[in-house]
Amino acid sequence: MSAISAVVYREAKIRATNFTFIFWDLFFPLLYMLVFGVGINTALGAPTGLGNVNYNEFFLAGILAMASFAIASNTSWSFFLDRDNGIFYEMLTYPMSRSEYLLGKVIFNVLISIGQAALTLVVGRLVLGIRVQWTKLPLLLTAMAIGTAGWFFFYAIFALRVRRNDLFNSITSVFYFVFMFASSMFYPLEPLPAWFRTAALLNPITWEIDWLRYTSIGIGNFHSILLEGTAFLVFSLACFAYAVRCLQQQE
Amino acid sequence: MGEFALEVENLVKVYASRGKAPIRAVDGMSFRVPRGIIFGLLGPNGAGKSSLLRMLSTLTRPTEGTAKILGYDVVKKPIEVRKRISSVIQATAVELFLSVKDNLLTYARFQGLDKAVAARRADALIEEFQLGPEVDRKVQDLSGGFRRRVQVAKVFMVDTPVLFLDEFSTGMDPILKRQVMNLLRTEVEKGRTIILTTQVLSEAEELCDDILIINRGKQIARGDLNTLKQLSRGVYDITLAFDRLPDTIQAEIAALTPIRFTVEGNTIELTLKIEEHRVMDVVSALSRNRHVLRVEVRGASLEDIFVELTTREGKVVT
Repeated sequence: MSAISAVVYREAKIRATNFTFIFWDLFFPLLYMLVFGVGINTALGAPTGLGNVNYNEFFLAGILAMASFAIASNTSWSFFLDRDNGIFYEMLTYPMSRSEYLLGKVIFNVLISIGQAALTLVVGRLVLGIRVQWTKLPLLLTAMAIGTAGWFFFYAIFALRVRRNDLFNSITSVFYFVFMFASSMFYPLEPLPAWFRTAALLNPITWEIDWLRYTSIGIGNFHSILLEGTAFLVFSLACFAYAVRCLQQQE
Repeated sequence: MGEFALEVENLVKVYASRGKAPIRAVDGMSFRVPRGIIFGLLGPNGAGKSSLLRMLSTLTRPTEGTAKILGYDVVKKPIEVRKRISSVIQATAVELFLSVKDNLLTYARFQGLDKAVAARRADALIEEFQLGPEVDRKVQDLSGGFRRRVQVAKVFMVDTPVLFLDEFSTGMDPILKRQVMNLLRTEVEKGRTIILTTQVLSEAEELCDDILIINRGKQIARGDLNTLKQLSRGVYDITLAFDRLPDTIQAEIAALTPIRFTVEGNTIELTLKIEEHRVMDVVSALSRNRHVLRVEVRGASLEDIFVELTTREGKVVT
């Protein structure tokens, strides 16, 4: 446990003393909500087929998922920084297991994403008047925690296997585009073509968004949400197992 | 806990990459290191020193064979090994986004050091490593030399019984290097075992109680400085300083087939493997009818032994 807390302490020290990290982790998703979300809401109005839910409310879950996705992506990129300045290899000789190292990193990221979610919910409620279902808050935070962990482990696999920074940046850029746009993040899936809907339903970020949308504004069917939540959990555990394996193969 | 600080048995490390022939970086090494000494691993670039250290510090797994630190197997009990070691790896390894002091304190936290003890030791090391003026600056704003200072200072934060230093003095100024060497001696007196690699042979000559010379992944000689010098009996360093460098001197020396030969200004330095009774004949031949300002004849240095052993591909002698 002390090893995990040491990793959390290290991450916190690095992030808390660096303004750019704070901006990207906490405030960038808020800007998306306040600029892009408000713009679309004002220009296009409420999305079709969702009753009286306006775009700001619809987009809230997308913002939360985007935050967990971005926090995970930023942290996995830090593997490169750590490797470049050598500390990554030194850390692997510290008295901790590879899985403790990964868990410490993910715990810190989960804490950040929960903080970010709280900030987004408060700003969404106070500034945009989003009707948040506060009774489901524990489930929403659980979704944020599992979502961030899953994406972190997913990205960690690539960060550990890919040696070149430019290649990794290309991969994350492609992922950013494909995962976010082929999902229910920005628009409801119902009016879309069947092939697009199928692709989006196979996309783990859709599972996370649907879970977040259900727990934040109550849209969705509980049974399908349960299925998607379970699928995301399995996805996260599989990524964790493979990321630990990749970490053990670091030479 | 084992009787030895380090036990290595038939250790092999093969790096295999797709489309390329596998590289045997470490090729069947076996040796033991007693506790409380400074053990030097010497070898030319690519000899396998860093690969060996990476296996011993649990950074990478051996392909074959076993290695134990204080009785704990590096593959079967890596956490137990890591609790007992500190490492200065060859590359600079520092937390760029943290201040100098936070680097030390974060390291201490990983090693499970009590907060108050960590703060006290950090203050002492900041003074010892002359990091005072930089203490609150982020390491990313410091020069390479200062970064290396921070990296080396970290291992003195803790009392792990085994210390690995992979070319620790890279980028250090001579005064600081001297201080660190003194610190290392003090640590050994306290009972720590230090395993170091270095390219600076005078450093090894001065520091190491026991030396292993390796080349192409194999051990080629082992012993203390005197033992190694015995291996190179008949090797002499000759220095001659002239008032003016004779025109034909280089050809004359080449005819002697020296192990090493350098010219700097009007001074020549050569290392010869030669019978003892012929040394003075060579000196007198080279200085005949010339104005010689200085003559020096010494027995082989570690550097001579190193060059001779690593170029002749000798067999292990202990």
